[in-house]
Amino acid sequence: MTAIAAKPASGASLNPVASGIGIVVLIILIGIMYAIGGQIALIALIGIIVGGLLIAFGVHFVPVGGAPAAMGQAPGIATGVAMLAAGAGLAGLFGGAWAWAVQTNPDLLVAVITGGVGGGLMMAITCFFVNFIYIFGMGIPAASGKVKVDPLTGDTQPEFKSQGTEGHGLPFISFVGGVIGGIFGGAGGTLIYLMLLNVYQEVLPKMTVFDKAGAAGVLPIAISLAGIFAVGMFLINAVLAAYNITGTIEGPHDPKFKRFPRALIASAIASGLCGVAALAIVFVPV
Amino acid sequence: MADIPLVFEIGITAMAGALATIAGAAEDVESDIGSQGDPNSQVQLAPQMGYIHRIFNKAIAGEPPAWGLWITLGAGLAWAFMAMSMNPILAIILGCGITTFVQGVYSTTAYLGRTASLAKFGQPVYIDILKSMTTVTMAHAFVAIFATVSMCFLINTALGHPFPLPLLGLVWGIALGAAGSATGNPYYGKERQYQTQKFGAGVPIAASGNIVRYAEAGERNSLDNGFFTAKLAGPASGVCFGLIVFLEIWRTILFEPIGAGWGAIVVGVIMIIIFAAIDRYIEVWARKNYGPYTAPVAEASS
Repeated sequence: MTAIAAKPASGASLNPVASGIGIVVLIILIGIMYAIGGQIALIALIGIIVGGLLIAFGVHFVPVGGAPAAMGQAPGIATGVAMLAAGAGLAGLFGGAWAWAVQTNPDLLVAVITGGVGGGLMMAITCFFVNFIYIFGMGIPAASGKVKVDPLTGDTQPEFKSQGTEGHGLPFISFVGGVIGGIFGGAGGTLIYLMLLNVYQEVLPKMTVFDKAGAAGVLPIAISLAGIFAVGMFLINAVLAAYNITGTIEGPHDPKFKRFPRALIASAIASGLCGVAALAIVFVPV
Repeated sequence: MADIPLVFEIGITAMAGALATIAGAAEDVESDIGSQGDPNSQVQLAPQMGYIHRIFNKAIAGEPPAWGLWITLGAGLAWAFMAMSMNPILAIILGCGITTFVQGVYSTTAYLGRTASLAKFGQPVYIDILKSMTTVTMAHAFVAIFATVSMCFLINTALGHPFPLPLLGLVWGIALGAAGSATGNPYYGKERQYQTQKFGAGVPIAASGNIVRYAEAGERNSLDNGFFTAKLAGPASGVCFGLIVFLEIWRTILFEPIGAGWGAIVVGVIMIIIFAAIDRYIEVWARKNYGPYTAPVAEASS
């Protein structure tokens, strides 16, 4: 059986009881964070949760065909959902973190958007090369298997689809979906990084172990810690969204895209829990 | 960043882009010879469908996490050697060399484990394949790891990116694997492993597992696949990753100081639009020139 034939065990419906419990857990986590770290930790945790939501939502846009796409059996990019989103999001994080460090008076909004554009640019180049290989290397025009007409360009799809496949390549809607996914992922990753960095820069110099280091001395530790946690949380959110997608997705026009609310709830709780862990290491005295 | 001459920064940007291009090309060829990416599903499937083959089979993990591990390891070791006051060039070479052996260990265990799991379908473990392929993938891996770690070192030291070397290695290692697998996998999977299928059409799902197993002379092995994919998929992956690295750094170096950071954003958006336009152009070009799908005429009639 291929990944195409694998059907999800359950539908896109939200489980109200589980969602309710999840939201209660999330509120408790936020409360715990406020009790431990006060306002600065609360703002950071909310920023981390928003960043996680951006990543989980963005992953649903990314057209991923997995193994079937490598044989021209399904549309999308021939790699895993979480991995591709991580590649784009981390490229965005690279740009966002740099933009923050370069500016003398850094602005959160500018850095987050820079990160988003970095992720979008990575996806734009990658998606273009996917079509380049399909068209000039394999002579296969793009065709969607999920919709009859590309919702953006109005191009009809079924007649270009090879017999016995689910479609192949990246129709323009999938390209745009990839770019949007990269933008959300890059912005979310950068937001998580900056939220953590802000807290670490504020709190680390006050810790007794860093007494002699001062604000400049702890900066490399703050950047490294925030970067590692941001990468980790990125992967957690991307993998959660990938489980929600189960296998392959063509982009925003795919029926599976409608499942995103479920991933958002899961992502908020996971980001909340990871955020508490990442922040507690500087607030809880050891 | 501000106290370094701009020409120097642009030179480093170009150098980083060139290193990324080499890394992307070597990464894709390594993954094709080692059968690391998604097409390996077919290499694993073939014996189960009765097609015994001599293709290497070492999918340790998906390409992005595998390369994330190797580049981070290389960068981390190089960073540790540099912390011991070692010359950076020597440190990077040593770090990448040791990492290459880790890759070799993973490749060996992956091939033996994966192939042994197919024993009940009659797939033998070929020791000559293990001997000849593993070293070739290691060589390609060294080139890719060395180029990427050097690129990360330049970004960190010469351009002043705040991330430490191992973290940059993780970020760019995962991006390298993502770019290389996205660009290179279809060419290896469809065009090489299913070379007998009709050109210009996807592989019908019914044909899954029936990979090409014979070469011009004798049985095909993974070196033949590397020879084939190095002509297009490798360079394309290289240009893809090179462009990603180059344009990302270039827009930051030149345009970040403009408008308190908005300059880099505007340039990034413009570049996304340019790539979208080129993509749309080639998509329409393919639809016009290749036309709709037509079922292949039966071979017997010719």
